[in-house]
Amino acid sequence: MDLIELKNSAEKELEKIAKSTELKSFFDKYLGKKGEIRQLFSLVKNLTEEERKKLGQEINEFARNLEAKVADLEKDLRKKEIEIEENSKSLDVSLSGSKIETGHLNPLTLTRREMERIFELMGFSVVDGPEVEDEWHNFDSLNIPEGHPARDALSLGKTYYLKNGNVLRTQTSSAQTRYMEKMTPPIRIVIPGKVYRYETTDASHEINFYQIEGLLVDENVSVANLKAVLRKFLNEFFERDVEIRLRPSYFPFTEPSFEVDMLCTVCNGKGCAACKRSGWVEILGTGIVHPNVIKNGKLDPKKYKGFAFGMAIDRMAMMKYKINDVRLFHSGNLKFLKQF
Amino acid sequence: MLFSYNWLKSFFSAEIPEPKKLAELLTLHSFEVESLEKKGNDWILGIDVLPDRAGDCLSHIGIAKEISVLLNKKLILPKTKLNTKGKESISVEVVDGRDCLRYMARVIDNVKITESPKWIKEKLEACGLNSINNVVDATNYVMLETGQPLHAFDFNNVSKGIIVRRARKGEKMMTLSEKDYLLDENILIIADAEKPLALAGIKGGKKAEIGKNTKKIILESANFNAKLISQTARKLNLRTDASIRFEHNIDPNLTELAMNRVVSIIEEIAKGEVVSKIIDVYKTKAKTRKIILNISEVSKVIGIEIPQKNIIDILQRLGFGVKQMKGKLSVDVPTYRQDVVIPENLIEEIGRVYGYEKVEEKLPYGFLEGIKRNETGYWQNKARDILKELGFSEVYSYSFIGDEEKDVFNLKAEEIVNPVSSYFKYLRPTLIPQMAKIVKENSKFFKDIKVFEVGKSFEKNKETYALSGAVSCSDFYGLKGCLNILFDNLGIKNVNYSGIKEKLFWNKGNTADIIIKGEKVGNIGSLSLDICQALSLDNNIVYFEINFEKLVKNCSRTKTYEIISYHPPLLRDISGIVPENVSIDNIIELIKNKGGQLLKSAEVFDVYKGNGIPQGKKSVSFHLIYQSEEKTLDSKTVDFLRDSLINELKKEVNWEERK
Repeated sequence: MDLIELKNSAEKELEKIAKSTELKSFFDKYLGKKGEIRQLFSLVKNLTEEERKKLGQEINEFARNLEAKVADLEKDLRKKEIEIEENSKSLDVSLSGSKIETGHLNPLTLTRREMERIFELMGFSVVDGPEVEDEWHNFDSLNIPEGHPARDALSLGKTYYLKNGNVLRTQTSSAQTRYMEKMTPPIRIVIPGKVYRYETTDASHEINFYQIEGLLVDENVSVANLKAVLRKFLNEFFERDVEIRLRPSYFPFTEPSFEVDMLCTVCNGKGCAACKRSGWVEILGTGIVHPNVIKNGKLDPKKYKGFAFGMAIDRMAMMKYKINDVRLFHSGNLKFLKQF
Repeated sequence: MLFSYNWLKSFFSAEIPEPKKLAELLTLHSFEVESLEKKGNDWILGIDVLPDRAGDCLSHIGIAKEISVLLNKKLILPKTKLNTKGKESISVEVVDGRDCLRYMARVIDNVKITESPKWIKEKLEACGLNSINNVVDATNYVMLETGQPLHAFDFNNVSKGIIVRRARKGEKMMTLSEKDYLLDENILIIADAEKPLALAGIKGGKKAEIGKNTKKIILESANFNAKLISQTARKLNLRTDASIRFEHNIDPNLTELAMNRVVSIIEEIAKGEVVSKIIDVYKTKAKTRKIILNISEVSKVIGIEIPQKNIIDILQRLGFGVKQMKGKLSVDVPTYRQDVVIPENLIEEIGRVYGYEKVEEKLPYGFLEGIKRNETGYWQNKARDILKELGFSEVYSYSFIGDEEKDVFNLKAEEIVNPVSSYFKYLRPTLIPQMAKIVKENSKFFKDIKVFEVGKSFEKNKETYALSGAVSCSDFYGLKGCLNILFDNLGIKNVNYSGIKEKLFWNKGNTADIIIKGEKVGNIGSLSLDICQALSLDNNIVYFEINFEKLVKNCSRTKTYEIISYHPPLLRDISGIVPENVSIDNIIELIKNKGGQLLKSAEVFDVYKGNGIPQGKKSVSFHLIYQSEEKTLDSKTVDFLRDSLINELKKEVNWEERK
C-alpha cells in the first residue's frame, strides 16, 4: 500500500468505529510498532535523498494527524458512552427524598432566643432570677405592700405559697431590685423566665407561663426613651414597621404606667376577630420605675430614673406563629412541637 | 364597668363626641374602653377603670368628669336640694373611726315599695344590674351615678340603733342572697343592738331587708376602711359592686352628695317622707393634700417639653388647686383624688391628658441606631446548624484549585498571577472538586462521611456564596431527604427537582437541578463517571452545591401554626398507571390542588416500571390522609373525595386506576 491508499483505508475504517474499545485494535493496526505506518517507511529506502525526505515528512504528518483524530474520536466516543451509561441507570429525581427525623425546639425557646438576641443587640444583658421568691421581692420591693389592693389581688387567689412562707414568683419583675442592689447604673437588663399564677386554665390562661422583664436605670430616662426602645424591639421582633400606641395604665411598680398596643397585624387596624374588632392588640405593660422601687433597689430615686417593661413570651409566640391555645406550650404534644 | 352613653351625655349641655370617638378618647387618655355596643337608642361602653382610679371613676359622674377634663367642657352635676325636714333621730355608734371613716344615716317614712319607674329600670339594666324594687333600685342608681355605695334597712327590723363594729368570733349572719356566713373579729359589720344587719361595705343581711311591706327605712351612706373591706371580701369570696368601690378608697366627702341624691329620688319614686335630719358620724375629716411639683421634672420624665401654661391648665381642669412658685408648683389635691400622693402621680396626670401620642421617640443615651442583622450571615449560620444536626461536619477548604481539578472537571477558572504553588493556581469556580477530595481522603479512615462547606465560588469578576456538601453513606434520595429538612428549616417552600439541563461535571442519569420558583439554585447528584475514573473516586458519593445567594431570597422566618385536629385521620391508598414522563412532583402538586380541604397529606410509597406495566408507563402509589378539625370523618365522605380525585387525575395525567 502506498501512502494514499493507506490514508483512504484508515479514514474509512475510522469512520466505522462506534465504540471506544475498538480504537485499541485500530491504533495497533496503523500506529502500533509493527503497524502499517511503520511499514510505509520500507518504501522510503529505495528513493533519492530528496524524495525520501519529502515522503518521510508526509508520513510523519499523516501519523500525527491520525493520532490526533484517534484521540478526538476516543474523547467523543467516551463522552457518548458515558452519557449512555449514565442515562441507562437514570433515576426519577422527582421522587420524594428519604424521611429523615430531626429534633424540634419548643416555640417558647425560639421566641425567647429571638427576644434575647434583639435586646442584646441593644445593649441589654440577659440575667436570670429565682422562681421561688420571698414575699419581699415578689411584692413589697415592687411597691405592693401588705394591704394594697394589688397585693390582695395577687396574693389572695393568684399566688402559690410554700410552707416556709415563700412564693412562686407571679412576675419576673421580682428580680428587679435584686439586680439594682448589685449593679451600678447605667443598668440595662432583661430577665426572661417562668412565672406562676393560680388560675383556671383556658385557651389564654395558664398556671405557669413565661415572661421577659426589661429594666433600664440611668440618670436621665424618659417616656420618650421607653417608647423608642420598645418600638425598636417590636420592629425587629415582628420584622416590620409596627405602629404602636401608649395607653395609660396602672401598675404599682411604675408611675406613669402604660399598656402598649400594636396595630393588629392581621387586619391592619380595620378590626377583626384577632383584635376583638378594636384594631389594636395589647402587647406589653411598661412604665417609669416608681421611686419606691428605685429606693428598694438601694439607689437614690432623686438621682436615678428607669423604665421597666414586662411581656408574656407565650403571648408573643402565639402572635408570631398564630398559635390559638396557650396550653399547647406545656402540652408536650408532638403534633404541636413537630411544627417548629 | 358598663356605662350608658346617654347618661354620660346628660352631664353636659355642650355636645360630646359620638360614642366611637368618645371611646377612643377615653382609651388614649384615661381608661381602655373594652366594648361598645348599641342598645336601643343608647350605646353601652364597657370601661376598664384602672384600680388606682376606681375610687373616683366607677361612676357616671366620675367618667363624665374625665370627659370634661379631656374636652375642656363644663360638667353639669344633678341638682340636689338639701332636705332638712324631720325631727326624728336614730342612734349611730361607730366603734372605731379607723374602720369606718364616716357614717351617714337618714330615716324615711311612709315609703311605698313598688316597681321602679322605667327611667331607673332602663339605666340599671344598661349597666347590667337587676331591678329589685324602687328603694333598692334608687340606692343602686345613685351608686352608678356617684360611685358611693348605699344601703337601705327596714327601720322596723332594726333594734334600737346602728352600731358599726367588728364581728364577734362565731357570730353568724345570713346575707340577702340567703347565704350564711360565720364571722370573726377581722370582719366589720353593721349591727343593731342584737344582731348583725350587714357585712359593712360588702352586702346587706336578711334581717333588715327591704320587703314588700316595708314602710319605714334607714338609708346608709358611709365610708369604710379600704384595706379591711378588700381583705374581708376576698376572704369570704364575696366581691360586690359595693366592696369593689370601697376597696379603692372612695372620697369620704362623697357620702353627702349621694345621700341627698338618694333621698330626693326616693321621695320622688317611693313617695317617702324624710322624718330625720342627717345623722353624720365623721370624726377625722379628709383634707386636701399638698404636693410640690418641680416643673422641670415633668419634661424630664415625659421626654418632651410641655409648656408651663399647659401644665397648669391641665392640673386646674383636673380640679387641682395650683399655686405658682419659683420653678415649682404647689398643688392642692382634692379629696376625691386619693390616688394622687407623690409628684410622679401628677406627672402621670399631666402626661396622659396632654397625650402620649405627642411624645416623640428618642433612644436613650448611648444607644446605637441602625444595628441590623446580617441576613446572609444569619441564614448561613442557620444552614450550618441544620446540616450539623443532620450529622454533617463543616469543612473549610482553600479558595484555590490546581490544574488537575481544572482539567478533570473541565472548569473555567481565573488564574492567580503569583500562586504559592501549582496546586493553588486558580480561584475555585465551584467547591465540588474539594468536596470530592475531602471525601476521598477521609474514606481511608471513615465509612460514613457527611461534609459541607459554606464559601465563596468565583467566576470572572463575580463571587458568590456557595453551600456545597458530599455524603458517602447514602444515595440520592437520602441526600434529598437531608436537603428537604434544610429547606424546610430555612422556610423555603415549593422546591422542585428536575433532570439536569446542563451536564457540566455531573452524572446526567442521577443528578437533578434544584429549582425554586422556576429558578435553578443548585444541583444534587453524583459526578460524571469519567471524572470518578480519572480521580479514582467512588461513583456512589452524592454531592450538592447550592447558590446561597439565590437561596437566601427564598428564605423566610415566617411560620404559621396549623391547628391540630383531635379527630382521627382516615387513610386511603391509590395506585395507578401513568405515562413514564409524568413526574411524581407533578402528580403530588395535582393531588394537593384537587384533593379537597380535608386532604391533609399525600405521600408516594411506590413507583414501579417493568414487568406487567406497559412500555412507556409506570405504576405509582400514594398514601392519602384525610382529617377534619371539626368532626370525625365517615368513610362515605372520604371515599367520595378519593373518587373525585381519581377522576381529576384521569383527566389531567391519563391516570389508569389499578385495582
